[in-house]
Amino acid sequence: MIQNKYKLRGAQSILFAILRELRFFFKGALGNLFSPAFLLILLPLILLWEILPRYGLMGPIIPPFSTVIAALGDLVSNRGFLNDIGDSMSTFFRGVGLAILIAIPLGLLTGWNIGIRKRVLPLFQMLAPIPAPAWVPITIVLFGIGAPMQVFLIFLGAFYPILFNTFQGVKDTDSRYLASARAFGASEFTLITRVYLWSALGAIIMSVRTGVAAGLVMLLVAEMYGGNTGIGFVMNEAQQFFQVPIVIASMVTLGMIGWFLIEVLKYIEVKLAVWKGGR
Amino acid sequence: MIEARNLTKFFSIVNEDNTADGITAVLSASLTVEDGKFVSLLGPSGCGKSTFLEMLGGLQAPTEGAVYIDGVQVLETLPATRKEAIKYARKHWFLSPLANSLFKNKPKHDIAMIFQDYAVFPWMTVLKNVTFALKLRGVARDQRESIALAYLKKVGLDHALTKYPSQLSGGMRQRLALARALAVKPKVILMDEPFAAVDALTRERLQDELVDLIAETDVTIVMVTHDIPEALYLSDEVVVWSANPGTIRNRFTIDVPRPRRRQDAKLLELNDRIEALLKYDITHESEYSI
Repeated sequence: MIQNKYKLRGAQSILFAILRELRFFFKGALGNLFSPAFLLILLPLILLWEILPRYGLMGPIIPPFSTVIAALGDLVSNRGFLNDIGDSMSTFFRGVGLAILIAIPLGLLTGWNIGIRKRVLPLFQMLAPIPAPAWVPITIVLFGIGAPMQVFLIFLGAFYPILFNTFQGVKDTDSRYLASARAFGASEFTLITRVYLWSALGAIIMSVRTGVAAGLVMLLVAEMYGGNTGIGFVMNEAQQFFQVPIVIASMVTLGMIGWFLIEVLKYIEVKLAVWKGGR
Repeated sequence: MIEARNLTKFFSIVNEDNTADGITAVLSASLTVEDGKFVSLLGPSGCGKSTFLEMLGGLQAPTEGAVYIDGVQVLETLPATRKEAIKYARKHWFLSPLANSLFKNKPKHDIAMIFQDYAVFPWMTVLKNVTFALKLRGVARDQRESIALAYLKKVGLDHALTKYPSQLSGGMRQRLALARALAVKPKVILMDEPFAAVDALTRERLQDELVDLIAETDVTIVMVTHDIPEALYLSDEVVVWSANPGTIRNRFTIDVPRPRRRQDAKLLELNDRIEALLKYDITHESEYSI
């Protein structure tokens, strides 16, 4: 009886904790967007977007705001746009996840050890200046059109910013932290997991943020060039049929996804780096 | 016993006009510190005393000379010839000479270090900072916490165990660094201006606490400072440095029994003498630069 009660309380407290965290997250995320100061700018802008096209003041092509929203609603309810978003996100997360899994350990290793750095980093410094979209033709030749090619392109876009920023952050670790840890007897492995990683945490999360932004660009490129589903595909198709409201609705969707992902990363940073601010 | 034999440290630099140049940070400095002694290195900033301390602790390899702690050389001397340099580079292509080992937590020498800033890890709580150091020294898991608690209690931090260093004052952070260094019971503690960043009142309190903490131990301490009264109050021996190039200029043995008073006549007299010495050094230097 008592045990059951405790179990219930445990489940309840977990639920409360989740709710509290969600509230914290949305307060932080939406707080920036919907502050009174910014609404005073945003609402007139939207109003202008609504009014100007109606009087033909923005050319014959740009549709008013309400048309774009209606198009978005139509996409979602009648054309299975949510599936497209889901497909896009699934490729996106596979690509960026792969980049994170490879680039962060590689950045840690190159930042930690000068021997590895000298042998490995120049290769990536040679390849990085090639703009990621330039990889599209060869990738299509290699992987054909479909998910693997899209995942690879997103991976390419996100990989270099994550690698180089992580590397720089790890390399900038203050030598006095290392010196005192070594004096206590830290092995190099302990230094990486307990000192370098934490000292560079801010830079690593920043690197993932840039990686996410670059990955979104490549998501769009990949879907526009070789895909039969996804936001980029919908957008490309709409462009060919000159459905401008759908094009803009897709743009708005992409913007919201990017904004949401950045906010999630900000939240993760706050949660991981309690020790930085926490007064 | 710490023995530094004829330590010289030379840095190569490149001038603004791309010509090669060099700085002799330390020139042929020798020092012997007996077990259980407290030695202060005193001098103007930029005189090479911190570099000397780093060579003692094995953070920098001396260009010439060698440091021995209980007869074991701390860090091999840097190569002097081209042939030696190639051999040295080949030997250390993967692990830096400073590194302990790849996977095994084991210190090379029984040393702890305290720096002015960056003294403790800001990403660990107060308790974790100390237990982490104990873990690295191979203290068993079930003993770490009780040892850490005992030392944190000694410095009055037992109420702030779950706080992070950013939530502590500067003085508290240095107390934590002190507790962490003492908790591993090292033979030698090297301190680089440990109290320079705190206000004068806190500094005196920290000095008193340090005296109490090390009274029960037989730890050997080498401290770098530019505060003359601090050096005199704490040390058994004060080593006065002069700059350009950094060399040891004078040594003063302080045989005032403990507990000491800051206003002790003998300490005050020594204070005046050292002050005059350092002042002369500074005027001497400026004459040259004109």
